[in-house]
Amino acid sequence: MFKKILIANRGEIAVRIMRTCRELGISTVAVYSEADKTAAHVLASDESVFLGDSDPSESYLNIDKIISAAHETGATAIHPGYGFLAENPDFAESCERAGLTFIGPPVEAIRALGDKTVARQLMIKGGVPVIPGMTRADPDTERLAEEAGRIGYPVLIKAAGGGGGKGMRVVNNPDEIKPACEAASSEAAGAFGNGAIYIEKYLARPRHVEFQILADASGKVIHLLERECSIQRRYQKIIEETPSPAVTPELREEMGEAAIKAAVASGYVNAGTVEFLLDEDGRFYFLEVNTRLQVEHPVTEMITGIDLVRHQIEIAAGRPLSLSQADIKGRGHAIECRIYAEDPENDFAPSPGKIGFLKEPQGPGIRMDSGVHAGFQVPVEYDPILSKLIVHAENRDLAIRRMIRALENTVLLGIKTPVPFLIDILKSKAFRDGRTFTDFIPTHFNTWRPDTTDAHLAGIAFIAHALSVKGRKKATAPAGSDFASPWVTLGRWKNG
Amino acid sequence: MEYKLRINEAMVPVKVEPKENRQFRLSVDDKAYDVTCDVISEDQLHLVIDGEQHNAFLVEENEYCRIITINGIPYKVEDADQAGRRPARRRKPGAIPREVTPPMPSVVVKLLVAEGDTVRKGDGVVVVSAMKMETTLAAPFDGRVGRINVTEGEKVKPGQILVDIQKGSIS
Repeated sequence: MFKKILIANRGEIAVRIMRTCRELGISTVAVYSEADKTAAHVLASDESVFLGDSDPSESYLNIDKIISAAHETGATAIHPGYGFLAENPDFAESCERAGLTFIGPPVEAIRALGDKTVARQLMIKGGVPVIPGMTRADPDTERLAEEAGRIGYPVLIKAAGGGGGKGMRVVNNPDEIKPACEAASSEAAGAFGNGAIYIEKYLARPRHVEFQILADASGKVIHLLERECSIQRRYQKIIEETPSPAVTPELREEMGEAAIKAAVASGYVNAGTVEFLLDEDGRFYFLEVNTRLQVEHPVTEMITGIDLVRHQIEIAAGRPLSLSQADIKGRGHAIECRIYAEDPENDFAPSPGKIGFLKEPQGPGIRMDSGVHAGFQVPVEYDPILSKLIVHAENRDLAIRRMIRALENTVLLGIKTPVPFLIDILKSKAFRDGRTFTDFIPTHFNTWRPDTTDAHLAGIAFIAHALSVKGRKKATAPAGSDFASPWVTLGRWKNG
Repeated sequence: MEYKLRINEAMVPVKVEPKENRQFRLSVDDKAYDVTCDVISEDQLHLVIDGEQHNAFLVEENEYCRIITINGIPYKVEDADQAGRRPARRRKPGAIPREVTPPMPSVVVKLLVAEGDTVRKGDGVVVVSAMKMETTLAAPFDGRVGRINVTEGEKVKPGQILVDIQKGSIS
């Protein structure tokens, strides 16, 4: 087993990985940038290495610096977390060449699954259902238009080399296909340095259902049930849960088998996630494999009682998988809400800044995976995820109630967060009824404004605070002002 | 005593009548409340309002403005008399601001124009990135690019003018 692991990431996921390492008696090395000198992951580690400037290319994306940090500290393995270099096959390869263990799948699997058209070919060969469409990118718009006609409108143009909605276009009729292909290709070229695009059938109201898998080097593969992640904004998940309200035991078995086939087809080792789209008729289609730990992995950990990071580390150390499919039982229901630094009232615009006050919820069945602390300046350079709130309860209804209670007990002041928005989603009938499709937010929350039920209470708190807090006299009315203010009168009351 | 508070952009008149220690009677928008307040810490108040208990958490936005969270919902509360009656700066979605300034703290990713270039209203001028989301800032009117005040990679803040555009018709 490794004695020391370097975590090539930041924020909540780095902190979460370090927790398991500590439990296993493995020392941890954090790496950090200029903006992260006092970040939570640095504080949580046993030792830390400064990488450089805040720009990701100088820090968390800098392969050479990270590998030297491992050598310098004597770490023998690197956990990449998610994002940054986690799905970069060149990084995994560089680790291997430097004699370090990359805690993740083999280089070839990362490379093959990172190209969406190659992944589709692998899945078709492996007997996994894929969305009807092309299996090769094509630069010729004439041929793309022909393919679109063959597939049948509406179609979805996708970039072969990337995700996150970049280079993606829904096309409803043949007149729009050629300009849409050109626009998608140029957007993909700008975002990924690869303008290759292909076309799939567009599914109108799918659910996003994914399966967690674990595979060891001997070829043993199991799945750890599903997660439903249909609640998304800008193609990014914000609420995830397990089990899915749409998956029956029979469908679970069928999809789980398909997920295992997907892992076998790609020679997968370690933890991974096979993503599917599930249509309204209960048919499912392969979407992609995420070759890393997912943001939403805690919901699986909550219902199965299994520490996925521990299994990642053990598999990477060459140990056989100690679990078999029969060991995997889901108990109860788990939900995760992602808490981003963003403003749900303003189209989810990023909201970097200093956290003035932070109070995290507590109680039975509550897990907070947090990467920030009060006083921390949330940097503009990185992903806006601050923390994840996860709850576990006996059933879905109780889990929803628990999540609402936990969110109401969450205080994060100084920057905008979606907490009030998340509360309203969880309280909505559509969510409670399990009508969770990927168009959920545009359908039900397009013109959302925060609840103002307690506006009077906030006003009372403001006045009460001004009148009650001692020594708060720095603000006095400007000379000649006729306005009375709580701060002015405060002094008189206290002195009188 | 009477005050004017701005709570989430809505103006709310408040009357306060202090009673004995820690207690007062308040009217908010003509609705009366009996309040007892305990200061738990600099950031937390425990309020008993008409017999109902509430915890409020506060952080100072500026001298006259607090962000106050009750039951998970943050409210922006401002002493409108002291802060002045600044008009709310909420723009219509999609409207182009009058100046080339980022909507949030950001990093300059790319300058799309050079000094002396002519631009039309709505043309992209500079691309900024905040937390992996890129935003293209547009020219607010037809004109000519005057000074460019930033370089690529620079950190910028709202209110900072990144590119000066001199208004004028382009022939």
